[in-house]
Amino acid sequence: MKSYLSFVIVSMAISNDLFAAEAGMPQLDPKYWASQAFWLILVFIILYVTISKFYLPKIKNNLDNRENKIKEDLDNANKFKDLSEIKFKEYEAILENAKKEVTKIHMQSKKLLDKDIQVKKKIMEKEIENEISKAQKEIIELKKNSITSIQNISEEITLNIIENISGDKLNKSSVRAAVEDISKKNINTYL
Amino acid sequence: MQQFSVHKIGPEIKIAGIDLSFTNASLFMVISASTILLFLYLGSKEKKIVPNKLSLLAEMSYTFVAKMISDTAGSKAKPYFPFIFSLFMFVLFCNMVGMLPYSFTVTSHIIVTLIMALFIFIAVTIIGFIKHGFKYLSIFVPKGVPTILLPLITVIEIISYLSRPVSLSVRLFANMMAGHTMLKVFGGFVVSLGILGGWLPLSFSVALTGLEILVAFLQAYVFAILTCIYLNDALNLHH
Repeated sequence: MKSYLSFVIVSMAISNDLFAAEAGMPQLDPKYWASQAFWLILVFIILYVTISKFYLPKIKNNLDNRENKIKEDLDNANKFKDLSEIKFKEYEAILENAKKEVTKIHMQSKKLLDKDIQVKKKIMEKEIENEISKAQKEIIELKKNSITSIQNISEEITLNIIENISGDKLNKSSVRAAVEDISKKNINTYL
Repeated sequence: MQQFSVHKIGPEIKIAGIDLSFTNASLFMVISASTILLFLYLGSKEKKIVPNKLSLLAEMSYTFVAKMISDTAGSKAKPYFPFIFSLFMFVLFCNMVGMLPYSFTVTSHIIVTLIMALFIFIAVTIIGFIKHGFKYLSIFVPKGVPTILLPLITVIEIISYLSRPVSLSVRLFANMMAGHTMLKVFGGFVVSLGILGGWLPLSFSVALTGLEILVAFLQAYVFAILTCIYLNDALNLHH
């Protein structure tokens, strides 16, 4: 480092004439002071007027516009958020009502259906009962009829049997009396 | 020091025997001012919700200066915002343009910074007297100072007040000149030491360039914020 510094110093001494020609401060030479002052004032006045009349209002306007726009957008966003919340609540209320209505309708239709079913059941039961009693009556009738026809058949059979065995013709009314007597005795075992 | 020398460009302009010729200093003032105007034009052209990079920069410089003023001088300083903004941008761009190789640094001339500082000093003093009348003189008499010390303090305050334009102008001028001189010196080392020894000063030069860019911004900021502080003294009289 020391040798480097000495090298630098020696080199400076050699190249001293490089600076020697430019010695002194041009700043302190008053030759162009008036010119510099004049041009400085002129240029600065032009700059000041242009900036203050055109560009600063423009930039301020841009900044204000942006701020207002952002504020507006934020306000709008908040408004829409509130609105969406209200709408959501409305939607929930509607949904709740709909659910209630659904259960109501469900219950009502269930009741109606139950009633209907009951009425139809009763009607059906009545019909069935009627049918059954009819059938029973018919059966009883048939039974009665069958007894008389059986009696008739038995009479004829008896008459025929007796005729074939003895060759006698019996009185029809006496045979009937005998058959009736037997059938009355034994009717319970057949019916 | 050749980089600081002023020379005439074009014909000689003489008004009332005073040489007001267009010089390279004037040229770079015009270049800086045009760059600012171009920057602000491009930065304020589009009115989008999401700004592009240039708009963002222009708006950032706007809010930066606005915040600086409201922080140091309060809401009363609002009418002076365009002036402070122009001043900050002008000094910043002159410093930055001066960082380009082969360019001229307008703010490295004491006459330029002195005129700006004197204008600010006189304007602030006038504003102070307009706002507060002769009560403005009370800024030389701080509150809570023992009566015995008061003459001394008042003298010191007056001296410090009067040295404001000097300190303001010399600060900017000296910083810019010193930085550029240093770059020149290290650049000279690179040339004189050649390919063998020139690497170290070259790396210094690179680092110093970075530092100088920082200084260029910092000095513009300091210039503007000191203007704000002086303005604050004149507007809000509570010493």
